[in-house]
Amino acid sequence: MTSRTSRLLLFALAASVPLLLVVLPIGNFFVMSFWRVSDNVIVPDATLANYAGFLENDAYWRTFLFTIGLCAAVAGIGIAIGYPVSYFIWRLRGRIKYLLLLLLILPLFMSYIVKIYTMRSILGLNGFLNKFLVFTGILDQPSTLFLYNRTAILITMATILLPFVILPIFLTLERIPKSLTQASADLGAGAGTTFWRVVLPLSLPGTAAGALFTFVLALGDYITPQMVGGPNGFTFGRVIWSQFGLAYNWPFGAALAVIMFLFALAVIGLAAFMAARQR
Amino acid sequence: MRKSLAERSVDWVLGGLTVITFLVLYTPVLISAIFSIVPTDRNGVHWNEASLQWYGQLLGNTSVLNAVETTLIVGLISVAIATALAIAIALYVEWEGAMMRRLLELFVYLPFLMPPIITGLSLLIYFNGLGIPRGTATIAIGHVALVLAILYRLVLTRLQSIPRSMIEASADLGATRWQTFARVIWPQLRSAAVTGAVLALTISFDETFVTFFLAGDTTTLPLRLWGMMRVGFSPEINALVTIVLGVSITLAAIVALRLNPRGTLEEE
Repeated sequence: MTSRTSRLLLFALAASVPLLLVVLPIGNFFVMSFWRVSDNVIVPDATLANYAGFLENDAYWRTFLFTIGLCAAVAGIGIAIGYPVSYFIWRLRGRIKYLLLLLLILPLFMSYIVKIYTMRSILGLNGFLNKFLVFTGILDQPSTLFLYNRTAILITMATILLPFVILPIFLTLERIPKSLTQASADLGAGAGTTFWRVVLPLSLPGTAAGALFTFVLALGDYITPQMVGGPNGFTFGRVIWSQFGLAYNWPFGAALAVIMFLFALAVIGLAAFMAARQR
Repeated sequence: MRKSLAERSVDWVLGGLTVITFLVLYTPVLISAIFSIVPTDRNGVHWNEASLQWYGQLLGNTSVLNAVETTLIVGLISVAIATALAIAIALYVEWEGAMMRRLLELFVYLPFLMPPIITGLSLLIYFNGLGIPRGTATIAIGHVALVLAILYRLVLTRLQSIPRSMIEASADLGATRWQTFARVIWPQLRSAAVTGAVLALTISFDETFVTFFLAGDTTTLPLRLWGMMRVGFSPEINALVTIVLGVSITLAAIVALRLNPRGTLEEE
Protein backbone atom coordinates (compact mmCIF):
# COMPACT_ATOMS: atom_id res chain seq x y z
CA MET A 1 0.00 0.00 0.00
CA THR A 2 2.79 2.43 0.80
CA SER A 3 4.38 1.87 -2.57
CA ARG A 4 5.57 4.79 -4.63
CA THR A 5 2.54 4.70 -6.91
CA SER A 6 0.02 4.92 -4.10
CA ARG A 7 2.00 7.76 -2.53
CA LEU A 8 1.84 9.67 -5.80
CA LEU A 9 -1.85 8.90 -6.12
CA LEU A 10 -2.57 10.23 -2.62
CA PHE A 11 -0.55 13.35 -3.34
CA ALA A 12 -2.46 13.93 -6.56
CA LEU A 13 -5.76 13.58 -4.70
CA ALA A 14 -4.75 15.96 -1.90
CA ALA A 15 -3.16 18.46 -4.25
CA SER A 16 -6.09 18.46 -6.66
CA VAL A 17 -8.16 20.58 -4.27
CA PRO A 18 -5.84 23.61 -4.01
CA LEU A 19 -4.92 23.05 -7.65
CA LEU A 20 -8.51 23.32 -8.87
CA LEU A 21 -9.58 26.01 -6.41
CA VAL A 22 -6.50 28.21 -6.21
CA VAL A 23 -3.62 27.53 -8.59
CA LEU A 24 -5.59 27.24 -11.83
CA PRO A 25 -7.81 30.30 -11.14
CA ILE A 26 -4.79 32.44 -10.30
CA GLY A 27 -2.90 31.12 -13.33
CA ASN A 28 -5.98 31.92 -15.38
CA PHE A 29 -6.07 35.61 -14.54
CA PHE A 30 -2.32 35.88 -15.04
CA VAL A 31 -2.89 34.56 -18.57
CA MET A 32 -5.83 36.88 -19.17
CA SER A 33 -3.73 39.90 -18.21
CA PHE A 34 -1.97 39.45 -21.59
CA TRP A 35 -5.23 39.40 -23.53
CA ARG A 36 -7.10 42.35 -24.94
CA VAL A 37 -10.61 43.63 -25.57
CA SER A 38 -11.76 44.64 -29.02
CA ASP A 39 -15.33 45.71 -29.77
CA ASN A 40 -16.44 44.58 -26.32
CA VAL A 41 -15.18 41.06 -26.90
CA ILE A 42 -12.30 39.54 -24.94
CA VAL A 43 -9.67 38.27 -27.38
CA PRO A 44 -6.79 35.93 -26.45
CA ASP A 45 -3.47 37.58 -27.22
CA ALA A 46 0.08 37.92 -25.94
CA THR A 47 0.29 41.65 -25.43
CA LEU A 48 1.85 43.74 -22.69
CA ALA A 49 -0.51 46.59 -23.58
CA ASN A 50 -2.45 46.24 -20.31
CA TYR A 51 0.69 46.64 -18.23
CA ALA A 52 1.87 49.48 -20.43
CA GLY A 53 -1.53 51.08 -19.96
CA PHE A 54 -1.00 51.05 -16.23
CA LEU A 55 2.57 52.35 -16.38
CA GLU A 56 1.84 55.10 -18.89
CA ASN A 57 -1.26 56.49 -17.25
CA ASP A 58 -0.62 58.89 -14.39
CA ALA A 59 -4.10 58.46 -12.98
CA TYR A 60 -3.61 54.73 -12.32
CA TRP A 61 -0.20 55.33 -10.79
CA ARG A 62 -1.50 58.01 -8.50
CA THR A 63 -4.42 55.81 -7.44
CA PHE A 64 -2.03 52.95 -6.73
CA LEU A 65 0.25 55.14 -4.61
CA PHE A 66 -2.71 56.76 -2.86
CA THR A 67 -4.06 53.30 -2.01
CA ILE A 68 -0.72 52.20 -0.55
CA GLY A 69 -0.60 55.39 1.52
CA LEU A 70 -4.19 54.87 2.65
CA CYS A 71 -3.58 51.25 3.69
CA ALA A 72 -0.37 52.24 5.48
CA ALA A 73 -2.33 54.90 7.36
CA VAL A 74 -5.01 52.34 8.27
CA ALA A 75 -2.33 49.96 9.58
CA GLY A 76 -0.55 52.84 11.36
CA ILE A 77 -3.73 54.00 13.11
CA GLY A 78 -4.34 50.35 13.96
CA ILE A 79 -1.02 50.11 15.78
CA ALA A 80 -1.31 53.56 17.39
CA ILE A 81 -4.66 52.67 18.96
CA GLY A 82 -4.44 48.88 19.00
CA TYR A 83 -1.11 48.58 20.77
CA PRO A 84 -1.93 50.66 23.88
CA VAL A 85 -5.36 49.01 24.14
CA SER A 86 -3.90 45.48 23.78
CA TYR A 87 -1.22 46.34 26.34
CA PHE A 88 -3.80 47.63 28.80
CA ILE A 89 -5.97 44.53 28.46
CA TRP A 90 -2.97 42.19 28.55
CA ARG A 91 -1.98 43.56 31.99
CA LEU A 92 -5.42 43.02 33.48
CA ARG A 93 -5.99 39.94 35.59
CA GLY A 94 -8.76 37.40 35.88
CA ARG A 95 -11.89 36.84 33.81
CA ILE A 96 -12.26 40.50 32.84
CA LYS A 97 -9.11 40.26 30.70
CA TYR A 98 -10.51 37.62 28.36
CA LEU A 99 -14.00 39.08 28.43
CA LEU A 100 -12.67 42.43 27.19
CA LEU A 101 -10.52 40.68 24.58
CA LEU A 102 -13.55 38.75 23.37
CA LEU A 103 -15.57 41.97 23.09
CA LEU A 104 -12.75 43.63 21.14
CA ILE A 105 -12.50 40.86 18.57
CA LEU A 106 -16.24 40.20 18.33
CA PRO A 107 -16.60 42.92 15.65
CA LEU A 108 -14.37 40.73 13.46
CA PHE A 109 -17.35 38.44 13.03
CA MET A 110 -19.80 41.16 12.14
CA SER A 111 -20.73 41.59 8.51
CA TYR A 112 -18.41 43.99 6.65
CA ILE A 113 -21.35 45.48 4.77
CA VAL A 114 -23.20 46.06 8.01
CA LYS A 115 -20.20 47.82 9.54
CA ILE A 116 -19.87 50.11 6.52
CA TYR A 117 -23.58 50.87 6.76
CA THR A 118 -23.40 51.75 10.43
CA MET A 119 -20.28 53.88 9.91
CA ARG A 120 -22.04 55.72 7.11
CA SER A 121 -25.00 56.51 9.29
CA ILE A 122 -22.62 57.86 11.96
CA LEU A 123 -20.48 60.02 9.67
CA GLY A 124 -23.29 61.57 7.57
CA LEU A 125 -24.63 65.12 7.70
CA ASN A 126 -27.45 64.03 10.02
CA GLY A 127 -25.26 61.42 11.61
CA PHE A 128 -24.43 60.81 15.23
CA LEU A 129 -20.94 62.36 14.98
CA ASN A 130 -22.25 65.70 13.68
CA LYS A 131 -25.08 65.75 16.20
CA PHE A 132 -22.58 65.10 18.96
CA LEU A 133 -20.11 67.76 17.79
CA VAL A 134 -22.84 70.39 17.42
CA PHE A 135 -24.37 69.43 20.77
CA THR A 136 -21.02 69.83 22.56
CA GLY A 137 -20.41 73.14 20.79
CA ILE A 138 -17.28 72.00 18.96
CA LEU A 139 -19.00 72.73 15.64
CA ASP A 140 -21.53 75.49 14.93
CA GLN A 141 -23.32 73.49 12.27
CA PRO A 142 -23.14 69.92 10.89
CA SER A 143 -20.11 69.33 8.69
CA THR A 144 -20.03 67.45 5.39
CA LEU A 145 -16.35 66.72 5.92
CA PHE A 146 -16.89 63.25 7.35
CA LEU A 147 -18.62 61.49 4.48
CA TYR A 148 -18.13 60.95 0.73
CA ASN A 149 -14.46 61.86 0.61
CA ARG A 150 -11.07 60.25 1.17
CA THR A 151 -11.03 61.04 4.89
CA ALA A 152 -14.24 59.03 5.23
CA ILE A 153 -12.56 56.00 3.62
CA LEU A 154 -9.69 56.28 6.08
CA ILE A 155 -11.93 56.66 9.14
CA THR A 156 -14.21 53.80 8.08
CA MET A 157 -11.44 51.35 7.18
CA ALA A 158 -9.40 52.19 10.29
CA THR A 159 -12.44 51.56 12.51
CA ILE A 160 -13.50 48.35 10.78
CA LEU A 161 -10.00 46.86 10.66
CA LEU A 162 -8.92 47.89 14.17
CA PRO A 163 -9.84 44.48 15.72
CA PHE A 164 -7.66 42.78 13.07
CA VAL A 165 -4.64 44.64 14.53
CA ILE A 166 -5.61 44.21 18.17
CA LEU A 167 -5.85 40.39 18.05
CA PRO A 168 -2.30 39.67 16.75
CA ILE A 169 -0.78 42.29 19.09
CA PHE A 170 -2.53 40.70 22.07
CA LEU A 171 -1.43 37.20 21.04
CA THR A 172 2.15 38.48 20.67
CA LEU A 173 2.06 39.97 24.17
CA GLU A 174 0.62 36.72 25.54
CA ARG A 175 3.61 34.84 24.15
CA ILE A 176 6.10 36.85 26.24
CA PRO A 177 7.11 34.55 29.12
CA LYS A 178 5.95 35.85 32.51
CA SER A 179 9.41 35.02 33.90
CA LEU A 180 10.98 37.75 31.76
CA THR A 181 8.80 40.57 33.07
CA GLN A 182 9.17 39.21 36.60
CA ALA A 183 12.95 39.07 36.25
CA SER A 184 12.91 42.66 35.05
CA ALA A 185 10.88 43.71 38.08
CA ASP A 186 13.16 41.73 40.43
CA LEU A 187 16.16 43.59 39.06
CA GLY A 188 14.49 46.80 40.15
CA ALA A 189 13.00 48.02 36.86
CA GLY A 190 9.73 49.94 37.11
CA ALA A 191 6.76 49.20 34.87
CA GLY A 192 7.97 51.85 32.41
CA THR A 193 11.50 50.47 32.12
CA THR A 194 10.19 46.91 31.79
CA PHE A 195 7.90 48.04 28.99
CA TRP A 196 10.57 49.91 27.02
CA ARG A 197 13.38 47.39 27.54
CA VAL A 198 11.53 44.04 27.59
CA VAL A 199 7.91 44.07 26.43
CA LEU A 200 8.16 46.45 23.48
CA PRO A 201 11.22 44.89 21.79
CA LEU A 202 9.77 41.38 22.18
CA SER A 203 6.36 42.31 20.80
CA LEU A 204 7.55 44.49 17.93
CA PRO A 205 7.93 41.77 15.25
CA GLY A 206 4.47 40.29 15.97
CA THR A 207 2.94 43.75 15.99
CA ALA A 208 4.51 44.54 12.63
CA ALA A 209 3.26 41.23 11.20
CA GLY A 210 -0.29 41.97 12.40
CA ALA A 211 -0.17 45.44 10.89
CA LEU A 212 1.07 44.07 7.56
CA PHE A 213 -1.80 41.56 7.36
CA THR A 214 -4.22 44.40 8.04
CA PHE A 215 -2.52 46.39 5.30
CA VAL A 216 -3.21 43.57 2.82
CA LEU A 217 -6.85 43.33 3.92
CA ALA A 218 -7.30 47.06 3.32
CA LEU A 219 -5.54 46.86 -0.04
CA GLY A 220 -8.26 44.91 -1.82
CA ASP A 221 -11.29 46.67 -0.36
CA TYR A 222 -13.55 47.89 -3.16
CA ILE A 223 -16.77 48.32 -1.20
CA THR A 224 -15.76 50.89 1.44
CA PRO A 225 -14.44 53.42 -1.14
CA GLN A 226 -17.60 53.03 -3.16
CA MET A 227 -19.96 53.41 -0.20
CA VAL A 228 -18.29 56.25 1.72
CA GLY A 229 -15.65 57.60 -0.68
CA GLY A 230 -17.86 59.65 -2.98
CA PRO A 231 -16.91 60.50 -6.57
CA ASN A 232 -13.22 61.15 -5.82
CA GLY A 233 -12.67 58.25 -3.46
CA PHE A 234 -11.02 55.90 -5.93
CA THR A 235 -8.73 53.22 -4.59
CA PHE A 236 -6.88 50.56 -6.55
CA GLY A 237 -9.38 47.91 -5.50
CA ARG A 238 -12.27 50.05 -6.73
CA VAL A 239 -10.49 50.64 -10.07
CA ILE A 240 -9.99 46.88 -10.54
CA TRP A 241 -13.60 46.23 -9.56
CA SER A 242 -14.89 48.76 -12.11
CA GLN A 243 -13.01 46.94 -14.91
CA PHE A 244 -15.21 43.93 -14.22
CA GLY A 245 -18.36 46.04 -14.13
CA LEU A 246 -19.26 49.01 -16.28
CA ALA A 247 -15.82 49.55 -17.83
CA TYR A 248 -15.88 45.90 -19.02
CA ASN A 249 -12.19 45.45 -19.63
CA TRP A 250 -11.42 42.13 -17.96
CA PRO A 251 -7.88 41.78 -19.36
CA PHE A 252 -6.92 45.23 -18.07
CA GLY A 253 -8.56 44.46 -14.73
CA ALA A 254 -6.65 41.18 -14.63
CA ALA A 255 -3.36 43.01 -15.25
CA LEU A 256 -4.10 45.45 -12.42
CA ALA A 257 -5.02 42.47 -10.23
CA VAL A 258 -1.69 40.79 -11.05
CA ILE A 259 0.08 43.94 -9.85
CA MET A 260 -1.96 43.91 -6.64
CA PHE A 261 -1.43 40.15 -6.19
CA LEU A 262 2.36 40.40 -6.48
CA PHE A 263 2.46 43.41 -4.19
CA ALA A 264 0.26 41.65 -1.60
CA LEU A 265 2.39 38.51 -1.86
CA ALA A 266 5.53 40.55 -1.11
CA VAL A 267 3.85 42.16 1.92
CA ILE A 268 2.63 38.77 3.21
CA GLY A 269 6.13 37.38 2.74
CA LEU A 270 7.48 40.24 4.83
CA ALA A 271 4.80 39.61 7.47
CA ALA A 272 5.66 35.88 7.58
CA PHE A 273 9.33 36.82 8.00
CA MET A 274 8.43 39.14 10.90
CA ALA A 275 6.24 36.46 12.50
CA ALA A 276 9.06 33.92 12.20
CA ARG A 277 11.46 36.30 13.98
CA GLN A 278 8.98 36.39 16.84
CA ARG A 279 9.60 32.72 17.65
CA MET B 1 4.09 47.67 46.11
CA ARG B 2 2.42 51.03 45.51
CA LYS B 3 2.43 52.43 42.05
CA SER B 4 4.00 55.80 41.42
CA LEU B 5 1.92 58.75 40.26
CA ALA B 6 3.42 58.45 36.77
CA GLU B 7 2.48 54.78 36.50
CA ARG B 8 -1.04 55.45 37.70
CA SER B 9 -1.55 58.25 35.20
CA VAL B 10 -0.31 56.00 32.38
CA ASP B 11 -2.89 53.41 33.51
CA TRP B 12 -5.63 56.04 33.39
CA VAL B 13 -4.65 57.15 29.89
CA LEU B 14 -4.53 53.54 28.62
CA GLY B 15 -7.84 52.74 30.31
CA GLY B 16 -9.43 55.85 28.83
CA LEU B 17 -8.21 54.91 25.35
CA THR B 18 -9.65 51.40 25.81
CA VAL B 19 -13.04 52.82 26.80
CA ILE B 20 -13.03 55.13 23.75
CA THR B 21 -12.12 52.18 21.51
CA PHE B 22 -15.11 50.23 22.82
CA LEU B 23 -17.36 53.22 22.18
CA VAL B 24 -16.07 53.59 18.62
CA LEU B 25 -16.54 49.88 17.89
CA TYR B 26 -19.96 49.45 19.46
CA THR B 27 -21.79 52.79 19.14
CA PRO B 28 -22.52 52.32 15.41
CA VAL B 29 -23.95 48.88 16.09
CA LEU B 30 -26.13 50.06 18.97
CA ILE B 31 -27.45 53.01 16.99
CA SER B 32 -28.62 50.75 14.15
CA ALA B 33 -30.30 48.45 16.60
CA ILE B 34 -32.10 51.33 18.32
CA PHE B 35 -33.29 52.94 15.10
CA SER B 36 -34.70 49.64 13.86
CA ILE B 37 -37.20 49.86 16.73
CA VAL B 38 -37.62 53.58 17.36
CA PRO B 39 -38.82 55.83 14.50
CA THR B 40 -36.97 59.07 13.69
CA ASP B 41 -37.75 61.99 11.43
CA ARG B 42 -36.83 65.67 11.04
CA ASN B 43 -38.37 66.49 14.41
CA GLY B 44 -36.13 64.05 16.24
CA VAL B 45 -36.40 60.67 17.80
CA HIS B 46 -39.85 59.41 18.82
CA TRP B 47 -38.93 57.22 21.75
CA ASN B 48 -42.54 56.50 22.74
CA GLU B 49 -43.46 55.09 19.33
CA ALA B 50 -41.09 52.14 19.49
CA SER B 51 -42.35 49.08 17.64
CA LEU B 52 -41.21 45.95 15.86
CA GLN B 53 -43.16 46.81 12.71
CA TRP B 54 -40.01 46.92 10.53
CA TYR B 55 -39.14 43.39 11.51
CA GLY B 56 -42.64 42.31 10.54
CA GLN B 57 -42.26 44.07 7.21
CA LEU B 58 -39.07 42.11 6.50
CA LEU B 59 -41.01 38.84 6.84
CA GLY B 60 -43.13 39.89 3.88
CA ASN B 61 -40.17 40.95 1.74
CA THR B 62 -39.70 38.03 -0.66
CA SER B 63 -36.42 39.29 -2.14
CA VAL B 64 -34.91 39.40 1.35
CA LEU B 65 -36.30 35.96 2.20
CA ASN B 66 -34.89 34.51 -1.04
CA ALA B 67 -31.51 36.02 -0.24
CA VAL B 68 -31.63 34.46 3.23
CA GLU B 69 -32.41 31.08 1.68
CA THR B 70 -29.50 31.32 -0.79
CA THR B 71 -27.14 32.43 1.98
CA LEU B 72 -28.07 29.46 4.16
CA ILE B 73 -27.82 26.94 1.30
CA VAL B 74 -24.41 28.31 0.26
CA GLY B 75 -23.19 28.33 3.86
CA LEU B 76 -24.25 24.79 4.73
CA ILE B 77 -23.07 23.19 1.49
CA SER B 78 -19.74 25.00 1.27
CA VAL B 79 -18.92 24.43 4.94
CA ALA B 80 -19.78 20.72 4.70
CA ILE B 81 -17.57 20.28 1.63
CA ALA B 82 -14.74 22.39 3.04
CA THR B 83 -14.78 20.48 6.35
CA ALA B 84 -14.50 17.13 4.58
CA LEU B 85 -11.70 18.42 2.33
CA ALA B 86 -9.84 20.01 5.25
CA ILE B 87 -9.93 16.74 7.22
CA ALA B 88 -8.74 14.77 4.19
CA ILE B 89 -5.84 17.13 3.45
CA ALA B 90 -4.86 17.39 7.11
CA LEU B 91 -4.86 13.57 7.47
CA TYR B 92 -2.73 13.30 4.36
CA VAL B 93 -0.26 15.95 5.53
CA GLU B 94 0.00 14.68 9.10
CA TRP B 95 -0.19 10.91 8.67
CA GLU B 96 1.03 10.15 5.18
CA GLY B 97 3.96 12.57 5.21
CA ALA B 98 2.95 14.87 2.42
CA MET B 99 5.13 15.60 -0.57
CA MET B 100 5.78 19.30 -1.07
CA ARG B 101 4.01 20.07 2.18
CA ARG B 102 4.98 23.77 2.37
CA LEU B 103 3.76 24.43 -1.15
CA LEU B 104 0.53 22.50 -0.58
CA GLU B 105 -0.18 24.49 2.59
CA LEU B 106 0.70 27.81 0.93
CA PHE B 107 -1.97 27.21 -1.69
CA VAL B 108 -4.51 26.15 0.94
CA TYR B 109 -3.87 29.36 2.91
CA LEU B 110 -3.55 31.70 -0.07
CA PRO B 111 -7.24 32.56 -0.61
CA PHE B 112 -7.47 33.50 3.05
CA LEU B 113 -4.30 35.63 3.04
CA MET B 114 -4.86 37.41 -0.26
CA PRO B 115 -7.11 40.43 -0.57
CA PRO B 116 -10.49 38.74 -1.23
CA ILE B 117 -10.92 40.69 -4.48
CA ILE B 118 -8.10 38.53 -5.92
CA THR B 119 -9.82 35.27 -4.95
CA GLY B 120 -13.13 36.58 -6.27
CA LEU B 121 -12.00 37.74 -9.67
CA SER B 122 -9.62 34.83 -10.25
CA LEU B 123 -12.53 32.41 -9.75
CA LEU B 124 -14.76 34.63 -11.91
CA ILE B 125 -12.32 34.46 -14.83
CA TYR B 126 -11.79 30.72 -14.21
CA PHE B 127 -15.50 29.82 -14.25
CA ASN B 128 -16.07 32.08 -17.22
CA GLY B 129 -13.29 30.30 -19.12
CA LEU B 130 -14.80 26.92 -18.26
CA GLY B 131 -18.23 28.12 -19.39
CA ILE B 132 -19.79 27.56 -15.96
CA PRO B 133 -22.67 30.01 -15.41
CA ARG B 134 -22.55 32.05 -12.23
CA GLY B 135 -25.00 31.22 -9.47
CA THR B 136 -25.45 29.45 -6.16
CA ALA B 137 -22.95 26.70 -7.09
CA THR B 138 -20.14 29.10 -8.03
CA ILE B 139 -20.68 31.12 -4.84
CA ALA B 140 -20.47 27.90 -2.83
CA ILE B 141 -17.20 26.90 -4.52
CA GLY B 142 -15.76 30.35 -3.80
CA HIS B 143 -16.69 30.00 -0.14
CA VAL B 144 -15.09 26.53 -0.02
CA ALA B 145 -11.81 28.04 -1.27
CA LEU B 146 -12.05 30.82 1.32
CA VAL B 147 -12.93 28.85 4.47
CA LEU B 148 -10.77 25.80 3.69
CA ALA B 149 -7.73 27.55 5.19
CA ILE B 150 -9.29 28.15 8.58
CA LEU B 151 -10.80 24.64 8.80
CA TYR B 152 -7.52 23.05 7.75
CA ARG B 153 -5.60 25.03 10.39
CA LEU B 154 -7.96 24.02 13.23
CA VAL B 155 -8.17 20.36 12.19
CA LEU B 156 -4.39 20.06 11.68
CA THR B 157 -3.62 21.59 15.09
CA ARG B 158 -5.88 19.05 16.78
CA LEU B 159 -4.53 16.18 14.70
CA GLN B 160 -0.97 17.04 15.72
CA SER B 161 -1.95 16.73 19.38
CA ILE B 162 -3.03 13.09 18.97
CA PRO B 163 -0.14 10.84 20.06
CA ARG B 164 1.16 8.75 17.19
CA SER B 165 1.36 5.75 19.51
CA MET B 166 -2.44 5.59 19.64
CA ILE B 167 -2.65 5.13 15.89
CA GLU B 168 0.17 2.58 15.93
CA ALA B 169 -1.55 0.67 18.73
CA SER B 170 -4.75 0.61 16.72
CA ALA B 171 -2.91 -0.76 13.69
CA ASP B 172 -1.12 -3.35 15.85
CA LEU B 173 -4.47 -4.59 17.11
CA GLY B 174 -5.44 -5.30 13.54
CA ALA B 175 -7.63 -2.31 12.78
CA THR B 176 -7.88 -1.22 9.16
CA ARG B 177 -7.10 2.40 8.29
CA TRP B 178 -10.78 3.21 8.12
CA GLN B 179 -11.43 1.63 11.53
CA THR B 180 -8.52 3.57 13.00
CA PHE B 181 -9.97 6.80 11.60
CA ALA B 182 -13.53 6.08 12.74
CA ARG B 183 -12.69 4.73 16.22
CA VAL B 184 -9.50 6.55 17.20
CA ILE B 185 -8.96 9.73 15.20
CA TRP B 186 -12.47 11.00 14.52
CA PRO B 187 -13.66 11.02 18.16
CA GLN B 188 -10.72 13.32 18.98
CA LEU B 189 -11.09 15.39 15.85
CA ARG B 190 -14.82 15.99 16.09
CA SER B 191 -14.88 18.99 18.40
CA ALA B 192 -12.20 20.82 16.36
CA ALA B 193 -14.10 20.10 13.16
CA VAL B 194 -17.38 21.38 14.63
CA THR B 195 -15.75 24.55 15.98
CA GLY B 196 -14.11 25.16 12.62
CA ALA B 197 -17.40 24.54 10.82
CA VAL B 198 -19.26 27.11 12.94
CA LEU B 199 -16.46 29.62 12.39
CA ALA B 200 -16.55 28.92 8.65
CA LEU B 201 -20.33 29.35 8.68
CA THR B 202 -19.91 32.77 10.31
CA ILE B 203 -17.51 33.80 7.55
CA SER B 204 -19.69 32.41 4.77
CA PHE B 205 -22.79 34.11 6.19
CA ASP B 206 -21.19 37.56 5.96
CA GLU B 207 -18.96 37.11 2.92
CA THR B 208 -19.31 39.87 0.32
CA PHE B 209 -16.00 40.53 -1.46
CA VAL B 210 -15.65 37.10 -3.11
CA THR B 211 -19.38 36.50 -3.43
CA PHE B 212 -19.96 39.65 -5.46
CA PHE B 213 -17.82 38.37 -8.35
CA LEU B 214 -19.40 34.90 -8.37
CA ALA B 215 -23.07 35.67 -7.82
CA GLY B 216 -24.34 36.62 -11.27
CA ASP B 217 -28.06 37.21 -10.82
CA THR B 218 -28.18 35.28 -7.57
CA THR B 219 -28.40 37.33 -4.39
CA THR B 220 -27.11 36.50 -0.96
CA LEU B 221 -28.06 38.42 2.15
CA PRO B 222 -24.96 40.68 2.22
CA LEU B 223 -25.40 41.46 -1.48
CA ARG B 224 -29.09 42.22 -0.95
CA LEU B 225 -28.16 44.48 1.95
CA TRP B 226 -25.57 46.25 -0.19
CA GLY B 227 -28.19 46.83 -2.85
CA MET B 228 -30.62 48.26 -0.31
CA MET B 229 -27.89 50.51 1.13
CA ARG B 230 -27.20 52.14 -2.20
CA VAL B 231 -30.74 53.48 -2.17
CA GLY B 232 -30.38 55.09 1.25
CA PHE B 233 -31.25 54.67 4.89
CA SER B 234 -34.47 53.16 6.16
CA PRO B 235 -35.68 51.57 9.37
CA GLU B 236 -36.18 48.36 7.36
CA ILE B 237 -32.44 48.21 6.59
CA ASN B 238 -31.71 48.88 10.26
CA ALA B 239 -33.92 45.95 11.20
CA LEU B 240 -32.19 43.65 8.71
CA VAL B 241 -28.78 44.90 9.87
CA THR B 242 -29.73 44.13 13.46
CA ILE B 243 -30.83 40.60 12.57
CA VAL B 244 -27.62 39.94 10.61
CA LEU B 245 -25.55 41.24 13.53
CA GLY B 246 -27.51 39.04 15.93
CA VAL B 247 -26.83 35.92 13.86
CA SER B 248 -23.10 36.75 13.50
CA ILE B 249 -22.70 37.43 17.22
CA THR B 250 -24.52 34.21 18.15
CA LEU B 251 -22.29 32.13 15.87
CA ALA B 252 -19.16 33.91 17.13
CA ALA B 253 -20.24 33.32 20.74
CA ILE B 254 -20.59 29.59 20.01
CA VAL B 255 -17.04 29.55 18.61
CA ALA B 256 -15.74 31.52 21.61
CA LEU B 257 -17.35 29.09 24.05
CA ARG B 258 -15.78 26.15 22.25
CA LEU B 259 -12.32 27.68 22.12
CA ASN B 260 -10.67 28.57 25.36
CA PRO B 261 -9.23 32.09 25.61
CA ARG B 262 -5.69 31.10 24.77
CA GLY B 263 -6.77 29.80 21.40
CA THR B 264 -6.16 26.13 22.05
CA LEU B 265 -9.04 23.73 21.77
CA GLU B 266 -11.07 22.70 24.74
CA GLU B 267 -11.51 19.05 25.59
CA GLU B 268 -15.02 17.76 25.35
